[in-house]
Amino acid sequence: MFLLALAMVVTLTSLWEWRMRSLALLPGDLSPSAAAWVVQRRRVDAEDAKVVIIGDSRILYDTDLGRFQALTGLRPIQLALQGTNCLPFLENLAADDHFKGLVIVGITDTSYFRERIGLFEAALKFARFESPSDRIGYWLDYGLSQYLGFLEPEYRLSVLVKRLDPDLRPGVKGPYDDVWKISTMGEDRQTAIWSRIETDPRLRDHARAVWNGFKGDKVSDAVIASTLGRTRTAVLAIRAHGGDVIFVRPPSAPELRVNEDQRLSRARGWDALLAAAQVRGVHADDVPETRGLIFPEFSHLSRACAPVFTDAYVRRLTGLTPRLQLRKDAPPPLGPRDCVPAGAASAEVTTQR
Amino acid sequence: MVFNSLTFVVFFCCVLLLHSLPFSWNVKKVNLLVASYIFYSAWNPPFVLLLWLSTVVDWWAAQSIVRSTNPLRRRAWMLVSVIANLGVLAYFKYGKFLLANFTALLSTAGVHYVPPDFDIVLPVGISFYTFATMSYTLDVYLRRALPSRNFLDFALFVTFFPHLVAGPIMRPTELVPQFEEPRRADRQRLCFGLALVTLGLFMKVVLADGFLAQPTEIVYDSDKAPGMLDAWTATLAFSGQIFCDFAGYSTTAIGVAMCLGFALSDNFRFPYAAVGFSDFWRRWHITLSSYLRDYLYIPLGGNRHGEVRTYVSLMATMLIGGLWHGASWAFVVWGGLHGLYLSAERVLRKLFSGYRPGPAVFFGLGLLTYALVNVTWVFFRAKTFAKAWLVLNGMFGLNAAPVPQLAVVHLLSVAVIVGGIVAVHWRMRDTTVEAVLARVPTSILTISWAFMAFAIIIEQGAGSAFIYFQF
Repeated sequence: MFLLALAMVVTLTSLWEWRMRSLALLPGDLSPSAAAWVVQRRRVDAEDAKVVIIGDSRILYDTDLGRFQALTGLRPIQLALQGTNCLPFLENLAADDHFKGLVIVGITDTSYFRERIGLFEAALKFARFESPSDRIGYWLDYGLSQYLGFLEPEYRLSVLVKRLDPDLRPGVKGPYDDVWKISTMGEDRQTAIWSRIETDPRLRDHARAVWNGFKGDKVSDAVIASTLGRTRTAVLAIRAHGGDVIFVRPPSAPELRVNEDQRLSRARGWDALLAAAQVRGVHADDVPETRGLIFPEFSHLSRACAPVFTDAYVRRLTGLTPRLQLRKDAPPPLGPRDCVPAGAASAEVTTQR
Repeated sequence: MVFNSLTFVVFFCCVLLLHSLPFSWNVKKVNLLVASYIFYSAWNPPFVLLLWLSTVVDWWAAQSIVRSTNPLRRRAWMLVSVIANLGVLAYFKYGKFLLANFTALLSTAGVHYVPPDFDIVLPVGISFYTFATMSYTLDVYLRRALPSRNFLDFALFVTFFPHLVAGPIMRPTELVPQFEEPRRADRQRLCFGLALVTLGLFMKVVLADGFLAQPTEIVYDSDKAPGMLDAWTATLAFSGQIFCDFAGYSTTAIGVAMCLGFALSDNFRFPYAAVGFSDFWRRWHITLSSYLRDYLYIPLGGNRHGEVRTYVSLMATMLIGGLWHGASWAFVVWGGLHGLYLSAERVLRKLFSGYRPGPAVFFGLGLLTYALVNVTWVFFRAKTFAKAWLVLNGMFGLNAAPVPQLAVVHLLSVAVIVGGIVAVHWRMRDTTVEAVLARVPTSILTISWAFMAFAIIIEQGAGSAFIYFQF
């Protein structure tokens, strides 16, 4: 009985794995998790990190760590977290006296200027204490993920069942309106947009619909004042123990940007932030190379365009801080032509004007 | 570590392998003891010290009780054990609660007092193992049991990993004798044990975490006022979630112990088919209710000192039982409601002592019991009293402007799963899992087992802790 049941389980699981791989869920794609983040956070202290990136999904998906390394010789530690306000993480680094490196803070204004932390609040708790069981569990999961594609939280049985309901009950936004899988994550949290978001119109349209244009209430003056004050304090603390901070504002498609600006204009947010915290930064609007890039679901760059944006902002950063130097053998600059196929802008993808 | 984690799967395979190797029985017991310490320290290694403290104090106290002929000295050693166990429990579990209430009390008296920070981590399962070890010294003191002859057996009783953090709360008389002679599961018991592990994990990973947790969270963790449909669905979902979570843990624990050749007590006997509340407590968390009966209700007087004393004992037992679940007034209310139900039932049984209900009335009384149990779950689940009232108002249609919150898929999944649980409980209320399994054809059992295991694998699970770990 046991052997027969085992044979059935192995057969069914193999069929499931085959089906999941046909949906582009591939081995080696790690799930975004607090445990994976903590592994990188530990490296900050253990390796005397030179460059650390914090922020939300934009700087996470839109940064190509390989390109960064090719340009500067430094591979940053990627600590950005999707759906999460990075200000508490900046404060976490500020409280770490050992940290003497450069923090690149990638912000989406509406994510940075808000009171709640968001999706990955648990990451900070994990950073303070991670049980041996959690740590072993992460490495076991990591090992299995190298061979199995179906270990994707967004394609769990219950999640798939719940998505069968296309909001049948009037007035209720159900699990169908949750954010589905939109990214893949590899070694050292190198993250990029999931290939099917670029190729499957249904998934892309769903992601666009879920963003709902990033519409929302205007950011209040109190939240702005509090954010500016906390940022200034954190930056001073990091500088006091030998580190430095620089800001980056990645691009977004016009369909989102218009609403983002309505909620928090550049003058009230970005400009005020740089002035209050006495920091320098790179705003996508000031980088001509980002014009014409592709945003499959309006919020993040395509896989091919992420290295182009990385190339552009890293070159700018080398001019703003002595902590980043352009290598003599750095590859030549990239531009939109390196990632936008001819005629793509007018077809199924959205580009920044 | 939690049962529903890859870490535990690897750990359990290692333990099973070690236990099957041809070592002496003493070496196997040492292996189990070390494994149990590893199991517990996987959460937070320093808390193993608490286990050692509990083990050493109770072993020493029990030995001293046996050696003492002076009644006062015997009582003193018993008190040492009780104070040590309850002291640890009070500090870690109730310290913050007591301090908050003390501060509130001073505040009402006009005294402004700012207490120092009391930010401590609650050791997992502390309520379970302190109760288990305390029962040892109490049993020896009350001469209900002889002390263990072997320290290793006693230490293993305290620490044995299947029951360590969330029960079943075993008595020394049930488990210590099992450690005295070599035990190993034969092929049939190993198979049955693994099937129970699969069933328990299916209940936890697929039903509780996968399908029932979210509808509960949507209503209970939101500020919106629910209507009758949403409030009842969320509460029914929680009734299913907590059953699948806790009974799932107990079933897994029993299965794990069975694979190693040991027997743990049943903790659940189809509680949602209970008719009346005394019946409910004979079916829900059986090892806790029998513990409270033997070590609290009966010592408080039980039903031997007149009606008034009986009701006082009943209420005190249930209030303390509520507080055992957590340091919060909401748990006290939950326990108090059960105390009131039990008292009311006792009154009604006296008034209608000759009444024997027909099948329809009997079933109706069962549904009424289940509905009233659901009312108590509101206080168990809601984070604040305000939220509890909001949900209760919703359940009785009293919210003026209810907001629909649950999607159709949630309504359907709760109806199917919780309806299924209640139906299974009624179908099996007078039998046992073993008896039913003996009648089911092997082919159906094999297919069911395989599908449950497959569902666990593709649900993956997030390794979330069991609800009762916090108690």
